Amino acid sequence: MEFTVDPAGDLGFRLAFSTTPEPSLTYGLLVIQSAARLQFNDALADSIVGYTTLTLLFRPMTLERERVHCWLEEQAQRISDPADIPDPAHKTVTLPVLYHSSVAPDLEWLAEDKGLTVDGVIKLHSENSYFAYATGFAPGFCYLGTVDERLAAPRLRTPRAKVPAGAVAIADRQTAVYPCSSPGGWRLIGACPTPLFALEADPAALLSVGDTVKFEPISIADFKNMQCDQRKP
Amino acid sequence: MRTLTLVRSGIATSVQDAGRTGRQHNGVPPGGAMDEFALRMGQHQLGHRADEAALEFVYGSLAFTTSAPCRFIVTGAPAIITIDGTKTNSGQVRETQAHPMVNIKPIGQGVYSYLHVTGGIDTPICLGSRSTSPRERLGGLNGQYLCDGDVLPLGPERTRSEPSYPVTSNISAPETLLLRFIPGFQFDLFRVETRHHVESQLFSVTPRANRMGITLDGNPIETGVASLLSEATCYGAIQIPPDGKPIILLNDRQTVGGYPKAGAVIRGDCRRLVQSQPGQRVQFVAITPQEADRIAWLEHHYLETKLA
Repeated sequence: MEFTVDPAGDLGFRLAFSTTPEPSLTYGLLVIQSAARLQFNDALADSIVGYTTLTLLFRPMTLERERVHCWLEEQAQRISDPADIPDPAHKTVTLPVLYHSSVAPDLEWLAEDKGLTVDGVIKLHSENSYFAYATGFAPGFCYLGTVDERLAAPRLRTPRAKVPAGAVAIADRQTAVYPCSSPGGWRLIGACPTPLFALEADPAALLSVGDTVKFEPISIADFKNMQCDQRKP
Repeated sequence: MRTLTLVRSGIATSVQDAGRTGRQHNGVPPGGAMDEFALRMGQHQLGHRADEAALEFVYGSLAFTTSAPCRFIVTGAPAIITIDGTKTNSGQVRETQAHPMVNIKPIGQGVYSYLHVTGGIDTPICLGSRSTSPRERLGGLNGQYLCDGDVLPLGPERTRSEPSYPVTSNISAPETLLLRFIPGFQFDLFRVETRHHVESQLFSVTPRANRMGITLDGNPIETGVASLLSEATCYGAIQIPPDGKPIILLNDRQTVGGYPKAGAVIRGDCRRLVQSQPGQRVQFVAITPQEADRIAWLEHHYLETKLA
């Protein structure tokens, strides 16, 4: 696999592979991320895995440029053979979803646009399992793939000013749950009552890169009960 | 408990310290004071540590009172301060009696000012920092910009530091502000003319500027690069959205993005950029990482000298 190591600003480096995203590549990037945390300790402020990239951001006045550059190149060489990557111990999370037009303004549109029934859309979305390729956009937001190509939907031309927290959405062949209310251009096909980011929880974010996510259809009654449970102290 | 009450909350006023580290992999931006020098100068003057929080406010306008006598200093964008009717300058530690009326008014230079009060703003620590990230509703007072009448807790007062000298604001508005950047990300994929365009054209600061980023105006940059798979952003990243108007990503940026980036502006020049008002002319200048390191060392030692 071809890769490049380049600066990311004056405090960071970006390792980028020129390939299509694959869970095996993500596992490799996670291996390097763990190694980097041990290797650079407190000097490393943040490390972020993207679809095909790993970005290391250092604290001011701690970055030893040559050393980090060489280290990243060595690490990238090591994961270039996916057979060498240890099987990661990541979790599978099942998220309950209410697929209903009362909470999903694009559900019926998507069915019609794709020549499917609403039940057909629900089946295609919930029977698949998804891989967490990247996190970001908002705290707890996780980019999940890969959506069945029969459901691939373009983003809205003009993003909605407000997407509610818990909205389950599709953009191209990615899917995600909006952890908090925010502007957003993805197509909304359901609502999930499980919080994806909670300050009182440890860790605060429910999903991490490398996790597997499944969606389980629930009834309106279940959805309301779960919402009530969330509000209890 | 000593408190500070905002009589007039001003514009985009928020609790800020040095920001959060180690949370970007969960999508939490670093946040923190937009002008780190101004924050540290003020902390130093009151004998505060790096994690003691101040109030960040925009265009130098604010009024407050406190429940007990206190010492305070305003750093960053300079302002005129009126304490119970007596006018004075910012940049120097001032003392008040209990229940003063302190009015802060802009003099038209810079953007971000910091109000430091002895003991620091003692709102709860959230994910390792008191900094407010309004979009994420984290930190500060309920994660939000402050309103008229908000009451903020102050931390316990430490032993007094020595009488201080005035702090100079370091804020200037040159005819053209140089934005030195380290090329990176997709810059090599841009067409040759585009790479030339980035450096040869002048841009200007627009009013579309906030804690997330500053949009520049100028001839649109046609990158020729389609949207990308989401990847991490970084402080100072020069993001080029489809309209070709570059956005410099700052403290409250989204941690990942899918727009092409030309590289990232060095921290020192970002700090000058955040204190620039709309209309300020800017020019990008590519530098090597080694040059950037030299500049960072110089600025670090300059600050250390100031804080000695």
